[in-house]
Amino acid sequence: MKYSVLFIVILLIAAFFAGCTQQEQAPAQATEIKIGVIASLTGPASNVGKNMWQSAQVAADEINANGGVLVKGSKVPIKLIVGDDESTQQGGQKAATQLITSDNVDLLVGGYSSAVTSSYEQTVAEYKVPFVVTGASSPIITHRTDIDTSYIFHHCPTTDSYGMYTTTFIDQVVRAAVNEKTGAAADRPFRLALLYQDTGFGKGVQTAVIDTITKNKLNIVLVSQQGYKMGESDFRTPLTAIKAAKPDAVYIAAFPNEGAPAITQARRDIGLDTIFLSVENNDNPQFYKDLGQYGEGSIIESRFSPYTAPAGALADAQSKFKNSYTAKYGVPPDMMGASTYEGVYIAAKAVENAGTTDKATVRQALIDLKMPQLIEAMSGGTISFSKDFCESQFDLWMEQLKYNSTIGECRPDIVWPDNLKTTDFVLPDWYQPGSP
Amino acid sequence: MYDLGILLQIVFWGLYAGCIYILLATGLNLIFGVMKIVNFAHGEFLMIGAYVTATIFFLTGLNPYVIILLSMLALIGIGAVVERLCFRPILGTSKLNEIFLSIGLIYVFQNGAAMIWGDEWQSVKSPYAGITLPFGALTVPLDYIIIMGFTAVILCGLYLFLKNTKTGREMRATSQNRKGAMLVGINVERMDILSFGIGCALAAAAGTLWVVSGQVFNPYMGSIPAVKAFAIIILGGLGSIPGAIIGGLLYGIAENGAAYFLGGVWKDAISFIILIIVLVIRPTGLFGESGE
Repeated sequence: MKYSVLFIVILLIAAFFAGCTQQEQAPAQATEIKIGVIASLTGPASNVGKNMWQSAQVAADEINANGGVLVKGSKVPIKLIVGDDESTQQGGQKAATQLITSDNVDLLVGGYSSAVTSSYEQTVAEYKVPFVVTGASSPIITHRTDIDTSYIFHHCPTTDSYGMYTTTFIDQVVRAAVNEKTGAAADRPFRLALLYQDTGFGKGVQTAVIDTITKNKLNIVLVSQQGYKMGESDFRTPLTAIKAAKPDAVYIAAFPNEGAPAITQARRDIGLDTIFLSVENNDNPQFYKDLGQYGEGSIIESRFSPYTAPAGALADAQSKFKNSYTAKYGVPPDMMGASTYEGVYIAAKAVENAGTTDKATVRQALIDLKMPQLIEAMSGGTISFSKDFCESQFDLWMEQLKYNSTIGECRPDIVWPDNLKTTDFVLPDWYQPGSP
Repeated sequence: MYDLGILLQIVFWGLYAGCIYILLATGLNLIFGVMKIVNFAHGEFLMIGAYVTATIFFLTGLNPYVIILLSMLALIGIGAVVERLCFRPILGTSKLNEIFLSIGLIYVFQNGAAMIWGDEWQSVKSPYAGITLPFGALTVPLDYIIIMGFTAVILCGLYLFLKNTKTGREMRATSQNRKGAMLVGINVERMDILSFGIGCALAAAAGTLWVVSGQVFNPYMGSIPAVKAFAIIILGGLGSIPGAIIGGLLYGIAENGAAYFLGGVWKDAISFIILIIVLVIRPTGLFGESGE
């Protein structure tokens, strides 16, 4: 009897505090702007996740050093709260729920791995929290129709865009170089192989490549398409299958911890001496370290590199961010860090434009947002979200890696497009073209 | 229809993968055979072995194939401590205790490794990377020949130890009949420590060969191989070392064959499909004895 009374008392107290939490949702004037950052601090994606969280902190520190965000005439500081998604769907769900219901964040920024981010989008949609996704690249993030994605804004190039850019580069530059080297006719079909992670991310790249070839009637033939499970580290069998198909180049849709061993095993063990093209999230110091000399000649599609930048004002802005990050953390930032850094600034600007932290108003401010590009090249020099799927439009480039024996690692040079390149694309001497 | 050279290469990669599985599963079987316990944290000893090798390599630049011996010695020590402190107190109690203890050890080891070494992916470069040898229709990297050679040497060493040394015979006696072994004066608790230590040393060897072959590693790398090692020892027969060897080879080749013919995503699925088929046909496993 005593225990049942105690149990009822505990339930009432819990309900009381839950009620208090509900009442906090609409403050008249915010004393701080709480931004939840969802990043993989642990688990297989922790290398990228830490970059994202630390970059967010650099942005918040800069904004707070100027007093904070200007909201209706007064400066309000940003408070960042991190949620570790543990690189898993369950971890992501836990992090998102904690940030929304317990920490009562005003906005969310971050999210890496489309599979992980998709798993907690429903929670974000249910609570109607504006979420600037800066690390997940599948277009499904804002294209899905099973939940309401109106509070979700995608500030990260999607697999559609970088699959398209890379395929276009292959058609315009690599194909011409191979034809010149082999003395082949201009109408020789280019033999492309795909090694893709069998998830929304990898399959998104695969779809984008196929769609780009089909829509633009490109003279590219997909001679081999090999899928592998996320987290794989032994690629010898799919690479053997790819080698058997005799490709002119291999496009790898992988995370850096997969891409680096794939290229190393291909060049070193399989003897696949071809051009490898990697996805932008591989433009990361650890990737260069793991790759060693086997990255020579390979291509990374990118928008922010730890080791190069396009000429002009963007180079200065990137340099400033890199220096701030490196001074604070001792290592250079990576691409997802760059977009997360911008994500915090986007969130801050939206609150400033909204004049409140009220989520519906902030959401509208994000829809109407037009702000100058910060450290990454944006289409038209402006950060804004498309009307249909709330996606921002990036300008992407291609880098070719050259081995530096002094450092013991490769370093990139931008080779495309013409307005951003610093040198020309070259086929290495050891390159072996494919054949039918 | 299929190029023989390509098929031989797939079999070769399967043999290489099989070597890693054999060492891991043999260690697990040794522990089970003597102590009759299942250690779900066995994959974490593979991970610790990999990190010990990598740490010594980064500090000294020694040949990783030499470091493997140091790594195995270190894991004999670590395994002995874990057995004494963790498994000895619960030996003979409920099976649930073993399960929960080993699951707890997984979290301790993974997070401990992440705290000590960080949880970024790392890699180790073999001094023989880039050297290939003609092998009939194939051109194979020297590293893989060395890895297979090492595996054969370790297994031969284990066989000779179990067959021809007094301690090895005592260990076999303990695995066959623990009470009988006690009755004839064998120190079964010493056999427990030894078998656990050697089992962990075999896991360390598997971890070292994993990293030196060019696969990346991090604190969470041991989970999937451990699950497969369990499937292998069930397939091969609990407590049967020949079963672990045949099972490991079968798994390595089947996985790579499935990846080639069906697609990379079938690589893990095929392992468990084989297990189900074998258990339906022969519930005690390929070499298992009834009553295990």
